[in-house]
Amino acid sequence: MPVGLLAQTCEVKVGGRIQDGSSSEPIAYANVFFKEALQGAVSDEEGFFELPLLCRGTYHVVVSHIGCQTKEFYLSVYQDTVMVFELDHNSQLLDELAISSTLISETTTQELVTMDAHSISQNTDKNIANMLDNLAGVSTLKNGNNIAKPIVNGLYGNRLILLNNGVAQSGQQWGADHSPEIDPLAADKITVIKGVGALEYQGSNLGSVILVTPHKIDNEPHLHGKARYFFESNGLGNGLNIRLQQHLEKLAWSVVGTAKKKGDSRASDYYLTNTGSSEGDLALQLEYAHNPLWKSEVYISSFNARLGVLRGAHIGNLTDLEEALTREKPFYTQDQFSYQITSPSQNVNHHLLKLHTKFVPHEDHQFDLTYATQWDIRKEFDVRRGGRSDIAALDLNQMTQFVEGKYKRYFSNDWELASGMQFNRIDNVNSTSTGILPLIPDYISFETGIFVLASKKTDRMTFELGGRYDYLDQRVAAISISLPREILRYYNHFNNLSAASGFSYSFSKFLNASYNLGLVSRNPAINELYSNGLHQGVSGIEEGDPNLKREQSLKNTFSLGGSLNQKILFELLYYDQRIENYIFLNPQDELRATIRGSFPVFKYTQATARIFGFDVTSTFLISDQLNMVLRSSFLKGTDIQNERPLIYMPSNNLFSTVNYQMPQVGNWEQVEFQISSKYVFEQKNILSSQDFTRPPEGYHLVGLKISGERQLKNNRLNIFLRIDNLLNVAYRDYLNRQRYFADDLGINFVTGVNLNF
Amino acid sequence: MLKMKSSNLCVMICWSCLLPFTGCDDELKDPVIPNEEELITTLTYRLIPTEGGETVVLTYKDLDGDGPGEAIVSVQTLSALTSYNGVLDLLNESQSPSSSITEEIEEEAIDHQFFFENTFDDWQIQYADTDFNGQPIGLSTLLTTGVNGTGSLTITLRHEPDKNGTGVGSGDMTLAGGETDIAVTFLISVQ
Repeated sequence: MPVGLLAQTCEVKVGGRIQDGSSSEPIAYANVFFKEALQGAVSDEEGFFELPLLCRGTYHVVVSHIGCQTKEFYLSVYQDTVMVFELDHNSQLLDELAISSTLISETTTQELVTMDAHSISQNTDKNIANMLDNLAGVSTLKNGNNIAKPIVNGLYGNRLILLNNGVAQSGQQWGADHSPEIDPLAADKITVIKGVGALEYQGSNLGSVILVTPHKIDNEPHLHGKARYFFESNGLGNGLNIRLQQHLEKLAWSVVGTAKKKGDSRASDYYLTNTGSSEGDLALQLEYAHNPLWKSEVYISSFNARLGVLRGAHIGNLTDLEEALTREKPFYTQDQFSYQITSPSQNVNHHLLKLHTKFVPHEDHQFDLTYATQWDIRKEFDVRRGGRSDIAALDLNQMTQFVEGKYKRYFSNDWELASGMQFNRIDNVNSTSTGILPLIPDYISFETGIFVLASKKTDRMTFELGGRYDYLDQRVAAISISLPREILRYYNHFNNLSAASGFSYSFSKFLNASYNLGLVSRNPAINELYSNGLHQGVSGIEEGDPNLKREQSLKNTFSLGGSLNQKILFELLYYDQRIENYIFLNPQDELRATIRGSFPVFKYTQATARIFGFDVTSTFLISDQLNMVLRSSFLKGTDIQNERPLIYMPSNNLFSTVNYQMPQVGNWEQVEFQISSKYVFEQKNILSSQDFTRPPEGYHLVGLKISGERQLKNNRLNIFLRIDNLLNVAYRDYLNRQRYFADDLGINFVTGVNLNF
Repeated sequence: MLKMKSSNLCVMICWSCLLPFTGCDDELKDPVIPNEEELITTLTYRLIPTEGGETVVLTYKDLDGDGPGEAIVSVQTLSALTSYNGVLDLLNESQSPSSSITEEIEEEAIDHQFFFENTFDDWQIQYADTDFNGQPIGLSTLLTTGVNGTGSLTITLRHEPDKNGTGVGSGDMTLAGGETDIAVTFLISVQ
């Protein structure tokens, strides 16, 4: 106990104010608790609090308030002290309204939505894409529940960048059935920027970015941590996530580990055989302060997953698919639950090492140097003959090396300037042991880029402008599909110029608007150029086109946010994107006859496309305890050249929650009840010739959640019970490829415990 | 002023550190062409008249697998009202020497079954072999033709079918399930 023993040292007066981190408005009725003293206080209407006399010493202080993230501070008290504690409101209510620009790299005039630490801790059972699914404008492209990738305003895969701790994820993003290899439980915050061009980042993107940010290591000399456990009834899944951290004088460290395992999921009426999964992840973070001006960081993360794919989704030819479409429940459905995973399945390993050093010689100058390497190993197993099911049918090994130098400068007249240079080398190799022609070829690509961004921020407005140039050099060695097999070599180079600008303006404290315009391009991905072969799961032959040109996008976004009487908060985003040479899989008027039967042929084709839509979020603060959130997304994607809809565009949806909060129930604080409702409309914007079957009907899901927190002597405990698909509705989703074969998930009870220590 | 200069120096040092990475002299090795041992390129259905006479061979050959190359399909004539012993043989001829896939099917007989669908009303096709569980495979069959006419015969190989499904044992594919490894159609005239 750091508390002094002498009586006269126990006469320190401590008081202060609790306020909102962004607006500095007072927060009334917040709890302040000094752990070591076992003493607490509640703030008054003006946010002020006062504690009875305390002893001198160092204290861990827990500050909590309904609707805010509970925060813990570590501080020393040696004399009468007045302190200010800042809390941030949970993103679900208010963060979405923030259009701010503090630092050029972190927030911009571009619209963003955030999944904060609290929201992550209430969804520990989900993978990264499923976690983001309920954010406005974000949907998921799935192949069963294990394999899911995020879609932001209609774009996914190679058109979207995912940054894991500042490093662009380099895996096999091209595959519609390849999920991002990132553990969301290692993150403190996941931010989706629904922008027009993220010029600071290398790699192909047509506007939007997902940033996965690890926890900041709190300045706490003691060993602290978080333990999180969940159980889910559907699939009998369990997961444990533990984080430990310590901040020594110069060195700070943290370790996060996650282990998850689940068995067969269940649709409303039957088991989804072979849809189990298991995952083990580890992340290590080290920060070292050489001196007050110079800091270095090491980040190592390892993601390892085994993902089962519905057994009944593995089919031969088109006849098999047509048969599957008429089936009540998928073939191979077992009556019993099982944890066993057999083929078809995926084994994915992704390792990242990042070294970063930051030098701030003067408060107006900042230098950053980063080196990162990634190793991505993907093995996909099919049901094969002759005992070959244990030999991967797709076996890819990718090494990525990345070097980046950045310089930021702050000028006295409110201007900020950021510039940087990046080099990236990708070496992708197929293993030869598959016994199958590889779907994508071996290649080495080398990309060099520079960018310059400038921004000016005043009280009312923020303006930013940026440009970027990239040069890509790509060497490809493919194997011919025609006989005799021979090696085909391709040499590609692309020069890309991008530019973006944005402007935001606050009319008053209660209304702000922002407009962004960006011109960016994306080089054709390796599969779009060279893939040649049968796509498992959906019996179709996909043919690349080595002559594809780069895509060029011109995107506008307009957003408006604010509040009415501080009772109704709203945010509206409208976006309109025109993409020249948009690459898509075009069904051909050809059925290819093979010894396995006939298959439809799809060819990567280009046309001019337009994607536009809007996302609306509004929050109604009915009383201090009751509020309601409404979210809606509308999107339409069209091939304007051929006047046809674009495939795989998210359906329109309507999401709402009603929340009732109680500050105190017995020993429990921040008790919250939530009812959620999600309606997904049928995707009507598609022609019958563009798919094997018509899109599924619209569906409505209802969910329920109860959560609460309490202070155990020194630890903070949070528990939640969530019920997804409460009415056990049988439904299928247009963006889930498993819809050809089976229903989506039935009812799921999830319970979780989060403990801070 | 001095501060500005030191930071400019820093910028230059940083950029020059990065220069060595700009070279691109990587050589990409030739990929190893995989040994596609699982591929079935050729199906032959040899029909040997039980009472003697000339053997008829139906052949389907597509050497490039899923590739765009056209398959070679033989068109044959069978004798009317004749019984044939049918023998199926599967080959991988994409490599030389070619290898037999038939043996793999024999080894995994319980996971495989051939189905013979035809457009003739008066044909009879019966299984003449069984797997370990006493259920049909279809590598050997007994085919009896009917009267003169033209039509087609489709041979399908299902991997991991439900051999216990109703009618599956007698060659009805409707409830067989599984996934299709082979589906080829021959045009046939009966004279």
